[in-house]
Amino acid sequence: MIRWEWIPANLGQLFAALVDHLILTGIAVGVGFAISLALAIVVHRWRSLYAPIAGTAGILYTIPSLALFAFLVPFTGLSLLTAEIGLVSYTLLILLRNIVAGLDSVSPEVQEAAEGMGYTAGQRFLRVELPLATPLIVAGLRIATVTTIGLVMVTALIGEGGLGQVMLRGFNFRNYAAVYAGAVATVLLAIVVDLALVALGRLATPWARARGA
Amino acid sequence: MTPEATRRASTVEFRHVTKRYDARAKDTPGAVNDLSLTVPAGKICVLVGPSGCGKTTSLKMVNRLIEPTSGQILIDGVDIMTRDVTELRRSIGYVIQQVGLFPHQTIGENVATLPRLLGWPRDRQRAKGDELLALVGLEPDRYRDRYPSQLSGGERQRVGVARALAADPPIMLMDEPFGAVDPIVRERLQNEFLRLQEGLAKTILFVTHDIDEAIKMGDLVAVMQVGGILAQFGPPAEILAQPASEFVARFVGADRGLKRLSLTRVGELELRPAVTARPGDDASDVRRRSAEAGTPYVLLVDERDRPIGWIAIADVPATGRLAAEAASATSPLLSRRTTLKDALSMLLDADVQTAIVVDGNGRVEGLVTLDLITDWMRAASRPVEVAAG
Repeated sequence: MIRWEWIPANLGQLFAALVDHLILTGIAVGVGFAISLALAIVVHRWRSLYAPIAGTAGILYTIPSLALFAFLVPFTGLSLLTAEIGLVSYTLLILLRNIVAGLDSVSPEVQEAAEGMGYTAGQRFLRVELPLATPLIVAGLRIATVTTIGLVMVTALIGEGGLGQVMLRGFNFRNYAAVYAGAVATVLLAIVVDLALVALGRLATPWARARGA
Repeated sequence: MTPEATRRASTVEFRHVTKRYDARAKDTPGAVNDLSLTVPAGKICVLVGPSGCGKTTSLKMVNRLIEPTSGQILIDGVDIMTRDVTELRRSIGYVIQQVGLFPHQTIGENVATLPRLLGWPRDRQRAKGDELLALVGLEPDRYRDRYPSQLSGGERQRVGVARALAADPPIMLMDEPFGAVDPIVRERLQNEFLRLQEGLAKTILFVTHDIDEAIKMGDLVAVMQVGGILAQFGPPAEILAQPASEFVARFVGADRGLKRLSLTRVGELELRPAVTARPGDDASDVRRRSAEAGTPYVLLVDERDRPIGWIAIADVPATGRLAAEAASATSPLLSRRTTLKDALSMLLDADVQTAIVVDGNGRVEGLVTLDLITDWMRAASRPVEVAAG
């Protein structure tokens, strides 16, 4: 028995959950990106640190999400912080790898031209390397964001979860309309956010579209 | 010439410059061994040699992309190691083979790279960009807003040269700048660059592995051999006429006589005078002048002294007037800037003995004959006094 009429009656609650979901994702990807960018700069400068840093991010990535949250709860409680620590740590591997790959993709002759013309190291990074790494960075952001949108669901178990909350409550009260609504809304959110990132990426890289005379 | 581009140039001096990549082995590729040479202000010095001879290393030591192991490089007498590296690099134009244009910036932005780094106002950056694009033969309105990926290899090379000129540097470093384009485009870029340099008179260090390019582009040529040893340094004519070693002789090639022909221009020869006549001239007077000059052919020219064709004196009537129709065969037309190699080639192609030299308006200036060229070759192949490099 699915009470579909639950959905129109609870649109406000669904929308609030959706916004919540988006915020949880935004914080996770935003903080994850900031940390990854800082790590990528370090790695770019001191290449030998890449293996240990990527290795650590890789280990974080392999920890099952439920286990990680359960592990954190005694320290940080059933809180937003607990949720975000977990979510952020899952973005690191993807974002770090893509930012580093993006920086590596800048051709040696472009680097040499920039250096030879008198760009300082900082100018070279901000004006040449980072812009040219954008396509790969955006690719990384897309994967990290879509993954995080899925993972936010799990944080419902520690009291967060956005649309995950809606689904969890649906299970507990055998309200399958809520379960379906939560699932569909999550999928739609993932698709819309992904498309938005694609569009942003295209706006940020006008040169990549200009091919052929 | 452009208002902001000045004929500013500096002297570049290498003093016992050595670069070792491996402390034990002297001959690692790219090593430079006790290089001393001076490039006078406003000259093009070409560093040429086989791969691994250290020519690119030598170039990159000037803008400190590579630091020497020992020795000094001086610009206008000042040791470059005492200068701020960023400021030094911004005062030196740098052009590389793969061009290294910034793919994410438009052509206009690429050319204005240095003005932007130097913090010029935006409108001045743009004006400078447009000016430089026009200077290298790219119409600003067509190219300014394109991206490098939308340009051909030759166009990209020109943008690379324009970008290097943006801050009006007294020195330009060019590392195989025309190496990545096909021979026809290369030839055109070389000619354009030489014409540009006539106006700019920068001090240019130019690296190539192609001896023909070195001879064509260089006021001075430094031939280097593996181990970073300077095998010979001097004007191209001297290197062709008097190779300092077995290595240099082999490197410049067995056809160095022909190469010397490409170094000399028609204007440097003492042209033979032509006996000219106009349609309507008195035939007997023409016969008399021809006899005085001792030549059996008269060159018929129009009212502005432009050649119409030759008349054999046997075909000139004893009396009456010359008719334009009497002119039969014509000859290849040369300018004073034609190289002897091209002149010779045109004579051979046309199967004639004589070519006509005309000025920019097509007026006859004189004649070049096959004999004239062979006489020049004979004279030039005699040993000349040359100061040891």
